[in-house]
Amino acid sequence: MAFSGALTLTDLNDFLTPSQACIKPVEQVNEPQQIIEPGAATTEIVIDSSGSYYEVSATGASTNASSKGTERKLQQAQISLNDCLACSGCITSAESVLITLQSHTEVLNFLNSNPPVSTPGHNIPVLSIAPQSLASLAASLSSSSGSPVSLRRILRRVRAFSTRILGFEHVYDTTFARHIALLEHTQEFFERKRGNGKVPMLASACPGWICYAEKAHSEMLPFIARTKSPQQVMGTLVKSWFGNRWGVQPDQIYHVSVMPCYDKKLEASRQDFYNDLYSTRDVDCVITTGELELMMRDKGWDLSQPVENEGIPDFDAEIPELLSHPGTSSGSYLHSLINSITASHSSPVDLTVKSIRTSDYEEFTLRARDTGEVLFKGAKCYGFRNLQNVVRKVGREAGVQVGRGAAGRLVGMRAKKRGGEDEKGYDYVEVMACPGGCVNGGGQLKPIAQAAGQKEDEEGFTRNWQESDVQMPVPGEDNEMQGAKWGNKEWTKEVERVYWHDLPTPPPSPRPDLESPFDRADRLAVQVKIDLCHPTDGSLHESWASVMDEGAETRRRELFRTQYRAVESEVVGLAVKW
Amino acid sequence: MDVDLPYRLELISDLPGHDERAWQVAWNPTKPLLASCSADKSVRMYSYRPSDHGSKSLAFSHMGTIPTGHTKTVRSIAWAPSGKTLATGSFDSNVGIWEREDVSDSEDAGETAGDWECMTLLEGHETECKSVGYSSSGTLLASCSRDKTVWIWEVKPDADFECMGVLMEHSQDVKCVAWHPSEEILASASYDDTIKLYIDDPSEDWFCFSTLSGHKSTVWSLSWSPQGSYLASSSDDLTIRIWKRVEEHEWKSVLELRGHERSIYSISWGVGKGASENLGWLTTTGGDGKINVWEITEMQHTKDPLSATLIARISGAHDVNDVNSVSWCPRLEHPDLLATAGDDGSVKVWRVVPS
Repeated sequence: MAFSGALTLTDLNDFLTPSQACIKPVEQVNEPQQIIEPGAATTEIVIDSSGSYYEVSATGASTNASSKGTERKLQQAQISLNDCLACSGCITSAESVLITLQSHTEVLNFLNSNPPVSTPGHNIPVLSIAPQSLASLAASLSSSSGSPVSLRRILRRVRAFSTRILGFEHVYDTTFARHIALLEHTQEFFERKRGNGKVPMLASACPGWICYAEKAHSEMLPFIARTKSPQQVMGTLVKSWFGNRWGVQPDQIYHVSVMPCYDKKLEASRQDFYNDLYSTRDVDCVITTGELELMMRDKGWDLSQPVENEGIPDFDAEIPELLSHPGTSSGSYLHSLINSITASHSSPVDLTVKSIRTSDYEEFTLRARDTGEVLFKGAKCYGFRNLQNVVRKVGREAGVQVGRGAAGRLVGMRAKKRGGEDEKGYDYVEVMACPGGCVNGGGQLKPIAQAAGQKEDEEGFTRNWQESDVQMPVPGEDNEMQGAKWGNKEWTKEVERVYWHDLPTPPPSPRPDLESPFDRADRLAVQVKIDLCHPTDGSLHESWASVMDEGAETRRRELFRTQYRAVESEVVGLAVKW
Repeated sequence: MDVDLPYRLELISDLPGHDERAWQVAWNPTKPLLASCSADKSVRMYSYRPSDHGSKSLAFSHMGTIPTGHTKTVRSIAWAPSGKTLATGSFDSNVGIWEREDVSDSEDAGETAGDWECMTLLEGHETECKSVGYSSSGTLLASCSRDKTVWIWEVKPDADFECMGVLMEHSQDVKCVAWHPSEEILASASYDDTIKLYIDDPSEDWFCFSTLSGHKSTVWSLSWSPQGSYLASSSDDLTIRIWKRVEEHEWKSVLELRGHERSIYSISWGVGKGASENLGWLTTTGGDGKINVWEITEMQHTKDPLSATLIARISGAHDVNDVNSVSWCPRLEHPDLLATAGDDGSVKVWRVVPS
């Protein structure tokens, strides 16, 4: 297989280009200093061979600055991931930090240093992979081999690679965690509709969107669902639920997730997902689809080779696998609400879909067939551009001040005089930062043979476009003049197609004694809820939505919901004049 | 002043007033109004009319100042083609949209200083907004910023705007945006030394269809020829380039001009007053304080498709100060009128007259 490089900095544009300034102030204790000649330049900074910085007294000896005794080793400024999360100097440039903190090398290092099973200090390594990552691997394999490969086969092969070659002990996909996230998300939606929180509710699964909202649109935060993303629900499942079952503490499990998105690394690093008691994260390390592919290539694993029994569904798996929630390939958050309202409404309903310019922005309206009453209005909104319009629309409809800027201070800012505000606003918006949604995440594999090498520019000079970070059109596509910024749109469609391929999952020979995967998932989800929330009346709970006692409900919110906080923006290069 | 040139620049009006450097001047396309913006965060408006003594002469008078409320420098201003709406681009990263409250259409010129009100604020840029511009139809607004992006907004009724595109094509600070005079083609110029051209794919998004490379330093300013077959650019590399449309989606560099000793901050291409067969007058200004005026002529039977002749020049236009902006008056009755804005905070109006 010929994939393009999995990890280059130029790939790191999940949704925004990094800004230029990191404003993390370097804290240093001011120690009393000798006052020498006032006004004179008295020191210079020297770097030694190990990269340490020294302040050297330069008084009268600027040419011979290495005289011992006048050197003072300077404290090195350290920037942690948390600093980056708290800083508004950049949005995704924190990723360069992440590359070192959460990378496939980090995973390999951990596995290499992990003491053997049943020796002290051994951690159980667990890998969770997103279905969009499986789709990316499958699409890439299918296009290079010419024959389609299902997500199930890819999951089996990734499992074989991860357990046999890398030493993982458990490999899951994240769709059961998504099932729980969807249940909780639906629950939260109805809570808000009952007046317990703000509407419209906005999706919370996309970390790029969360990060952007926290930094640029804090007025949107009350609208964003508090429900954890599937990755973080998976973290709770692995560290707490499986941990209990396996009889180990959260810090005795090393949990790696494979995601289509770089910003998932930021998400996993949030303080909210850190367990203070055991000093461990729910997800210890996030790697992208591209990094997983790189590991397989480095280890000489051929993903095109079948493994035994790879086509047979595993009905006895610990958790249901590859649950295909109908709707969108970004998690079907909107559709799970539509389905829930449709199912709970007493009379038939009609769903209309209106595309606004492209399939990345669609409005869904649910009406009662008899009365025509609008029961629900939602939208799916993908990509940075559409996200801007949703922020403006939601801000306007909800009457909140949009943005971080001078809006409130502008003189004469006229109160909007608008007619036609009778149109019903949104109840829900499925927001994703990437155009095309998660199948087109920044961490996904690139289409094969999309390497633009040395090319001549318009002037006939040879330039290394990649080196100068200039986006070149894909050769052969010049006629269509497609910008390659968000990846090839055709390729995204192919990954989308593969994502839905051979799904929903019918068993090859239906076994009447088996319940449907979704029924099993529902039943198991309730079991998870009971096991983790410990309701006093445990056995009485048969659905996720049922309300438990106060203590158990508090635990539920701690386990399955999270919070957001505005990051004050102070960035603007003050010294820059133009 | 170069006496051997066929024309000279006559100072019509000197309009001091800004407390800090003046960044840009913009002529209202439909009314006798001139606007300027400044690091003092204000926009100043001047009206003009024939002066009482002499038919050729114009009298400019200050008719009002918008304090704007932007928290930082107002770097750029642009009128909508209707002449009723003004956009401001500020270093506070926002774009303001301004209209005059309750101005009846019959009201002439605005002799009264009606109140300009901020109708809406467009947010999205992460850092300093450097330039704003309306498309020829007035239905689209573009802005660019140090955050390397170019944004395109659709102008909707009731001062509402919808984001149509966020173009992240440049690798550095974007200095200038300029719309084609009749088609929906947008050009942007950047610190990355390139010019990028964008069009809309109706079923998808706006996208960059061409990158014009050639300048060896920052491209500061852009101006389309009045008919739209050419694009002129001015750069920190001390050259002016003219790019010709050779195919529907292809532009080629056809002419390189020199005539400044410092960065050429601003360029403007007007219809001019010369012979009818020429392509109009191009004016440039910059850090050397010079204003140059060139007559551009299309050549029929030579290797070079264009020729440019320097027809007027003035040095020290704003004394020792940098001149940040130059703009031809777009009104047909004044094809020889141009305005400049300088670091001295003043706006000057010039007429190109025969020597």
